[in-house]
Amino acid sequence: MDNLYAPIIGICLVLGLLTGAVMYLSDFCVAGMFRDLFLLRRSVMLRYLALLVVSSMILFELARQMGFLPLYPFPLLYSPTPANLIGGFLFGTGMVLAGGCVVGTLYKIGSGSVLSATAFIGLVAGSGLYAEIHPFWAAFVRSTTFFQGKITIPQILGVDPLLPILLVSVFGLYIIRLWYKDRKLVRLSYAKGYLQPWKAALLLSLIGLSSYALIGMPLGCTTSYTKLSAYFGSIFFKEHLNGLSYFHAVPLKYVQPLTGIRLQGGPGPVFDVISAIQFPLVAGIVLGSAASAAWLKEFRISFGAPLRQYVSAISGGIIMGLASRMAPTCNIWHLFGGLPILAASSVLFLLGLFPGAWLGSRIFTGLVMKK
Amino acid sequence: MLNVIEFDIRTQICPATLLIALKEINNHSLQLEDGTVKLIFLTDNRDALTTIPESVANMGYSVNVTKNESCYSIEVYGGEQ
Repeated sequence: MDNLYAPIIGICLVLGLLTGAVMYLSDFCVAGMFRDLFLLRRSVMLRYLALLVVSSMILFELARQMGFLPLYPFPLLYSPTPANLIGGFLFGTGMVLAGGCVVGTLYKIGSGSVLSATAFIGLVAGSGLYAEIHPFWAAFVRSTTFFQGKITIPQILGVDPLLPILLVSVFGLYIIRLWYKDRKLVRLSYAKGYLQPWKAALLLSLIGLSSYALIGMPLGCTTSYTKLSAYFGSIFFKEHLNGLSYFHAVPLKYVQPLTGIRLQGGPGPVFDVISAIQFPLVAGIVLGSAASAAWLKEFRISFGAPLRQYVSAISGGIIMGLASRMAPTCNIWHLFGGLPILAASSVLFLLGLFPGAWLGSRIFTGLVMKK
Repeated sequence: MLNVIEFDIRTQICPATLLIALKEINNHSLQLEDGTVKLIFLTDNRDALTTIPESVANMGYSVNVTKNESCYSIEVYGGEQ
């Protein structure tokens, strides 16, 4: 490992620790936000997601105006394609069945959930399975991409991001103010050490800004899952994996803002800048959550749920892992990073999440909870 | 005489905890209303400590939550207790 990765690893570990602690204490479950809308007709948690998006939008734009975001839009965001919508749909279904999204699974593992660890195995497997369909899917993406070369809505409209960001932010702040006035932002919880989700949303947007300014991109972790599957897969099927083009792709090539060094990375089983960013982040989230759970005396290795729930967790994980590559990338990348800069692909991903979560909820109540 | 029924719903995947609790509350609604039964749900799901009390309050029952050594105990009751 080169020393040039050391500051990146250190920063991502700290950001991961903070993310894990904040998400555990507030139970900031993105899968639950979408699921409860359909399962319980309850939209309360989506308010906090809206708050996170709007606050990140304002913070990112302020930072961009001050020159702290030289990479705008950030790397690994692409022009819109129906693949974003399809990926979002599958991702929505998978996250409901898995009982957590790509990050929710991590903070739940931190508290000792064996079900979430099962979902994580599915996530890694699904991320790796994508490599088998990559040539076909990449051709589909290429042939259906529209607004070629344009990533954000301001770019598509041919205007500076400031005005559209300002319009959306002002509207968002108006709605959030109404929720605040109606006391709809505070939740009553009996959980020890409960962190109000509105505070968590603001903290997570600050963490996202720190990641964007220091690392060059907001939070994201699913390429590391693909790497993990490639590492494990190459133990048993080295020759087969060598023949898969996806594991030779190097989609990330950028000048890292902190070090000023040109770095590159991809999903293959080699240590690169993606490994330096995402593995410490993943480890940090699990450890941050575990430390919080231990502090509250809530850490417990828990298993014993019905077999049906384990099947749901691993199936959901596989679907979510596959979808995170097809979309491409995950909900955290799109919702916490892409939406705040009005990335068109992230808007499509979000639109896909809703029907996906609806389907996941139907499957969950119809099959998983059925006696 | 008060009948106390305990449900151990620890380790369950989200949102099974809430769905099981709601189902059992509905199954025992008559006894809860006349105060002859108290339901206790043992859970380690932090989300359930918001959603179950919220749902129970909306259904018109009372709730009491305590933290034990390894989990939380959510007591649901109705009538005069």
